[in-house]
Amino acid sequence: MSHVLDIKNLSVSLKRGGKSIAILDDLNLSIKAGEMLALVGESGSGKTIAALSIMRLLPKGAVISGDIMLGESNLASLDEPAMRRIRGLGVGMVFQNPLAALNPSKTVASQIGEAWMVHQGGSGRAARTRALELLTEVGIPNPETRLDDYPHQFSGGMRQRVMIAIALACSPKLLIADEPTTGLDPLIARQIMALIARLRRERNMGVLFVTHDLSVVEEHADSVHVLYAGRSVEWGPAKIFFAHPRHPYSEALLGSVARLGQARLQSIPGNLPEPETRPPGCRFAPRCGYAKPACEAGYPATAPGGTQACCLFPLPEKDQLTYAQKLVKKPRRNFPLQLEVQNLEVRYAGATSWFGASSKLPPSLMDVAFTLGRGECLGVVGESGSGKSTLGRAILQMVDYSGHVILDGEDFAPLRGAARRAQRRRIQVVFQDPRESMNPRIKIGDIIAEPLRLKGRISKAAARAQVATLLGRVGLNPEMANLMPGAVSGGQAQRIAIARALAAEPEVIVLDEPTSSLDVSTQAMLLNLLKDLAAESGLSYILISHDFAVVSYMADKIAVLNAGRVVEMADTAQIIEAPQHKYTAALIGAAPQLRGSV
Amino acid sequence: MNSATTSAPLRGGAGALARFLGWIQPRGTLTAGLAITFVILFMGFVAPFLYHVDPYAIHPDHALQPPSWAFPLGTDELGRDELALLLSGGLATLVVALPAAVLGFVLGVAYGLLSGLAPAWVDKLLMRLLDAVLALPSLIILIFFASLVTLNNTSLILLLGFISWPGLARLVRNETIAQRGRDFVLAAEQLGASRFYVARVHLIRSMAPVLVVNGTFMVGDSVFALSALSFLGLGVQPPQVSWGSLLQDALDIIALDPWWLIIPPGLLVFGSLIAASLTGQGLLQRWGNSR
Repeated sequence: MSHVLDIKNLSVSLKRGGKSIAILDDLNLSIKAGEMLALVGESGSGKTIAALSIMRLLPKGAVISGDIMLGESNLASLDEPAMRRIRGLGVGMVFQNPLAALNPSKTVASQIGEAWMVHQGGSGRAARTRALELLTEVGIPNPETRLDDYPHQFSGGMRQRVMIAIALACSPKLLIADEPTTGLDPLIARQIMALIARLRRERNMGVLFVTHDLSVVEEHADSVHVLYAGRSVEWGPAKIFFAHPRHPYSEALLGSVARLGQARLQSIPGNLPEPETRPPGCRFAPRCGYAKPACEAGYPATAPGGTQACCLFPLPEKDQLTYAQKLVKKPRRNFPLQLEVQNLEVRYAGATSWFGASSKLPPSLMDVAFTLGRGECLGVVGESGSGKSTLGRAILQMVDYSGHVILDGEDFAPLRGAARRAQRRRIQVVFQDPRESMNPRIKIGDIIAEPLRLKGRISKAAARAQVATLLGRVGLNPEMANLMPGAVSGGQAQRIAIARALAAEPEVIVLDEPTSSLDVSTQAMLLNLLKDLAAESGLSYILISHDFAVVSYMADKIAVLNAGRVVEMADTAQIIEAPQHKYTAALIGAAPQLRGSV
Repeated sequence: MNSATTSAPLRGGAGALARFLGWIQPRGTLTAGLAITFVILFMGFVAPFLYHVDPYAIHPDHALQPPSWAFPLGTDELGRDELALLLSGGLATLVVALPAAVLGFVLGVAYGLLSGLAPAWVDKLLMRLLDAVLALPSLIILIFFASLVTLNNTSLILLLGFISWPGLARLVRNETIAQRGRDFVLAAEQLGASRFYVARVHLIRSMAPVLVVNGTFMVGDSVFALSALSFLGLGVQPPQVSWGSLLQDALDIIALDPWWLIIPPGLLVFGSLIAASLTGQGLLQRWGNSR
């Protein structure tokens, strides 16, 4: 069987500050017709650079060496006009953010048609017919009525389908999908995944699926290729890989995927090394639990077996997987009452007219009521637009609402001024994007000391000592206090945000998608940290997430929100075993399940 | 010697200078802007104390002479040394224009923050008021008020300061609205921060690029506005000369083509505008790149 794509010894280096820095080393992979290969790695692994170098869309100053064979032509040495024919005609590409990749001022029919006419020529009428065929193929309902719609009139999932239609316009032999499901709701992400899987089979097309999340590709990938810090660590058939990962990094990466009903997430200590400071031997050695002295010196050779693993001491092909655990039922605990929410309703004001009359929009949140115990974690799940973030903001008193939020027996509603501010302090928040939640021009030490200063006068030395303690509590080096927020990684920034929240000594923390902008292994570490902090200090959490598995890992009970209403609320184990609402059941179906022994 | 000391050669004053040069070197705009600014500031504040020639000494027998060794920039129709006049006029211009720019800056930032953080109806009111002020041409307002008050340095600073804030106020207001919903502001409010604290600690810092760049522009505008007023006789009052009044004096005898009386003060007013513009643009580029 011939290969659609055959990459040999591909290395890429980029220019940074006048120096040439190796980003990707010696990548070898091949994709057959009809095969879906998942290129997996965390941010900084070089996976996107690999995908972009196939299309030769690398930033200026990038140097490629090696061969990228697409059929008979070597893309690494093709001239620019020939390369332009390849893009679209030979290779189609789908990006993560369809809204950014689509032209907002042109209809979808003209954008799909454009892709077709650029390469195939032909009349506008033929292009329109082609656009209709493609929209039908990618599963847009009533495609003939949607041809003249603009991208903003489509939902996120439908937009991604339109993107796929554009990529397929000229029937390419190879489709590159760069994190096409990241940022989509899990139910939609699953549909997109299934669509790509179906299309590759029907069209006998090779697919290079680039992702940071192994659980996304578990179901559909034919083969897997794992990158770490610019180097391949393991590759081979997906079935064998998922059953017996042999490289410690693959195992750790699989173990850090949150799955329904898991007892403890495995996390990877440390950070991915920067390209400038990659260790000389095995690049994973400094973070590897199995590392031996030889790993730090020698370049690891491939070990034979079911999959190819670049490891001196590959894991045995075990029968029992370390990452597969039995579903653990959380014991039902009784918590003393901490927070009570009654008849909560939030309506955002619509457009305000000149004379102050505002049109009322339908409520974003209706009739929400629950109690939260001391030390308890309530998970709130729902897709985008379900009102879950609004619920968090209402509890935090960031938006106007009707109804009651009662903390420790005291209702917020009648409170004003200083009393209200003091009461608000007792509920803290951790946002989704840790960088956005910190002023980029303020030193980390001062960010964490902010709650201390706002509480009352505090000496510089005392503040510094407390900041050091807080940094230690969230597992960071106290010396980080002197850095600016721009100098730390996303996971570290989120820890700093948690340290700031802790500094206010809150009783409740609202966690609004705290891990959804982080890599899988970082997410695992952060969730474990939050769990430990709650166990230490009796903190209560309200965890808002679209990821059912993450919520089930953390929460004692779960509330499922749909269109502003709580459709189901029950203890975590109960909701997983016997969901009452079909929407809940669908969410559970889309979440990564435990594997192996179950 | 351990590696820590050898790897940090850029410490201390010389190191700071080297880092500063490294910082501006790739950005010609900023370098040029800062260089012209430096020249103008030097002429205004240092040169008058180095060039010991009385600007008001009259030499009737040397009237209207082009540049020579005795009079480096020539003399005016009274035989006064033009270079001495220019330096004295520069100091007189800058001691009014700079404080006026600072005043306008402070007013603009305060008004913008107030409007951006106030309840919606107050914001609306303040912005309509701003529209009203912006609707009138500022030079007309300047001339109107200048004809009402006794003109001295203090009244000129107040006058120019009060006329220059609306543009910045609107920018700061819009920036405030854009920034106040950001997560780090919400987080600070959750920690019990007052609006004043949020404005002082978070908003000012996060809009620092906007403030610095526009503050730079305001200095140039202020020099220009004062020169325009002085040119019309409503600025710095005689006997003190200024760049604007020197241009006016030269205009009286334009028929005699005294180019040495027209080009230098004109160049200095123009140079101030260019310096402010280049510096502002350069800073904008720098922040744009590092953001």
